Amino acid sequence: MIARAARRRTATPPPAGGGPVPARPLPWLLPVLLFVGLFYLWPIVDALRLAFTDASLLDRDAAFSTEAIGAMLGSPALGTVLRNTAIFTLGSVVGQILLGLAIALLVVRGERNGLRGMLVMRTLVLAAWVIPGIANGIIWQMLFSEAPFGAINSALRLAGLPPVAWLSDPGNAMMSAIIATVWQGTAYSMILLYAALRSIDDTLYEAAAVDAATPWERFRFITLPELRGALLVNAILIVIMTLNTFDVIISLTGGGPGRATEVLALFTYNTVFYNFDLAGGSVLSILLMAISLALAALVAAFLPRAGRR
Amino acid sequence: MTRRLTASTLALALAGAPLLAQEDMVTRDRVGPADAENALTFRLTAYDLYSSDPATSAAFEELFVDFIEDNPGWRIDTQLQTGNLSQEQARMIEQAQAGRGPDCAMVDSAQLATYKAAGILSPMNEYFTEEEIADFFPYVRDGITDEDGNMLAVWWFTDLRVLYRNTEVVPEAPQTWDDLQAAALATVEQGYEGILFNGARGEGTTFDWLANYWALGGELVDEAGEPVFYEGENRELFLQAVRYYESLVDSGAAPARVTSIATYDDMLAAAAASTTAMFVGGNWMYAQLQTTLPEEEAAKWEASELPGPTAEQRATGTGGWTIAALTDDPEKVRMCAGIAKLYLGPGNAFQGLLPTQASLYDEYDTYAGPEFEVFSAALENGRARPGVAIYPEISNQIQILLGEVMSGAAEPEAALDAAAEAVEAAYARQ
Repeated sequence: MIARAARRRTATPPPAGGGPVPARPLPWLLPVLLFVGLFYLWPIVDALRLAFTDASLLDRDAAFSTEAIGAMLGSPALGTVLRNTAIFTLGSVVGQILLGLAIALLVVRGERNGLRGMLVMRTLVLAAWVIPGIANGIIWQMLFSEAPFGAINSALRLAGLPPVAWLSDPGNAMMSAIIATVWQGTAYSMILLYAALRSIDDTLYEAAAVDAATPWERFRFITLPELRGALLVNAILIVIMTLNTFDVIISLTGGGPGRATEVLALFTYNTVFYNFDLAGGSVLSILLMAISLALAALVAAFLPRAGRR
Repeated sequence: MTRRLTASTLALALAGAPLLAQEDMVTRDRVGPADAENALTFRLTAYDLYSSDPATSAAFEELFVDFIEDNPGWRIDTQLQTGNLSQEQARMIEQAQAGRGPDCAMVDSAQLATYKAAGILSPMNEYFTEEEIADFFPYVRDGITDEDGNMLAVWWFTDLRVLYRNTEVVPEAPQTWDDLQAAALATVEQGYEGILFNGARGEGTTFDWLANYWALGGELVDEAGEPVFYEGENRELFLQAVRYYESLVDSGAAPARVTSIATYDDMLAAAAASTTAMFVGGNWMYAQLQTTLPEEEAAKWEASELPGPTAEQRATGTGGWTIAALTDDPEKVRMCAGIAKLYLGPGNAFQGLLPTQASLYDEYDTYAGPEFEVFSAALENGRARPGVAIYPEISNQIQILLGEVMSGAAEPEAALDAAAEAVEAAYARQ
């Protein structure tokens, strides 16, 4: 009997790194599953359901239809909107990662050298992050104002430089929207990468110093490879957040001039609240989610796996 | 000493009691006693009872307290609308359809048709006499009644667009589009920005510009409510009005930055900074100019009717807000009509807003100023936006179209074709 029990124990060893798994895990997982299902999955399922109807904000009686899918995916504006979304996302993500990394490196380096004021610097960068998107858009709208008294253009004039059509020129308006988004989102990247930088083993840098490695070589062959996981996770999260951004844009440019800065999230919003087209908005929401998931999966494919670096 | 202090404290308490009582009667989410038997939910904007201007909020508090005292047993649960108009109004329709909407609400006159189409408004006829209903301006009466003659809302104030100018720089009011362009170019030569108007994504852009299209005789929709602005004669008139805006920017009479102007506050700021001598604004901005600018500067600003393609062809967009009942309970509809009457008469007179009933202009001294002569004359050519559910999308497409044309991203014809396609697709899905 004792021998059989001992055999059974050795036959099903507990998983590494965890305690014993209950024989019936479902009751333990049920609260979490219910919570996730209710608050995360149900809205997605509902959006999917609405996408296959002719639902409108003006009429609660919706019938099954695939018309909304055809209308939205065949919309002549969708191409421009997707192009805007791609430019906005790429510019914002690259900007946030590069600036976030630069500031994180600066702060870590400053802390290692005992430089004063690093905490203040971190806090200052974080201050931008806690500002709501709408307020961020309004702040930058005032800064980018092309009126003779506009803040940035006045500074340019003082420096003897010509003023810039920040918001009225279709090309510049997208750049302005990216700048406003990068300004706000950099803090998030900085914090993630700062934490990752702090966890890099100092002995690696000490060994590199013994080998007389240059700063660039230390960055290229130690910092970047060690940060790979954090950079990719950071990229996934920022891509998703940026794709969903519309608050900064609606208060900064409203999507204009024309459609110059109308991204997919704003187009979805306009479809629901101008056209009252709930079904069309749901189709676009699902499209937005599909793009987010595809991009996240693409980036995740490069994530280091356990046992492989 | 102690007795004197006690007496003083008592006197102070007695004197302050009514004030405290009134303060308790109006809170951030309620008017009336908290334990009142009946409650009416009222969704309002933040410009009167909860205005940031203490004088305005105090005046409305007094009106509301008097009203609640006249209706014992009632309290009003107030709900503030957000500044995001289109979202707020659309959300309210959805809530009303689900039975979770307010009992009474302020509805933008431009959105009223959508509410009517959704069938969520209760008639208010029995709380107004036939004379009172007949006293509304004709376009207002048309907007608030349905085919059966039911009065579905109270359009409590109207507004209109006019041309503001600094008379020291532009002494004579431009009468035609050509006059305006020449006057604006003359101000540019003097170092000003030229004429300013809304040109970014926002309802103000459509509304400012529509006056020009209407002055030409163009129509956005036909009698059946179907969009027609891109067809037949309307198409030519539409393009003519678009080219007028385009030429203002191309000639330098208007700065390119108009495509980034989405609020009238930008115009006010430019007037205060003396960087512009002319702008298209709402009638309410006359009072804002008087309070924002120093007295001698404010005196230089005058309003005049918007110029037309010719001096005889004029139009101006008229807007404003309504109060409507979204409940079937007759007692609540009565209370809602009572609130609307507060705004219609004394509320308008206090704020200097334009009432929608002709008799009120004679009833209150507020409307004796010379600016009201200009406004009432311009109202003769007033046009309301079409009361159809497709209007918000037409407006959205006009904003896109004007932005693209004025920023040089598209030619008027191509931009109109794209707008027509989008509006037709949206109309087919409604």
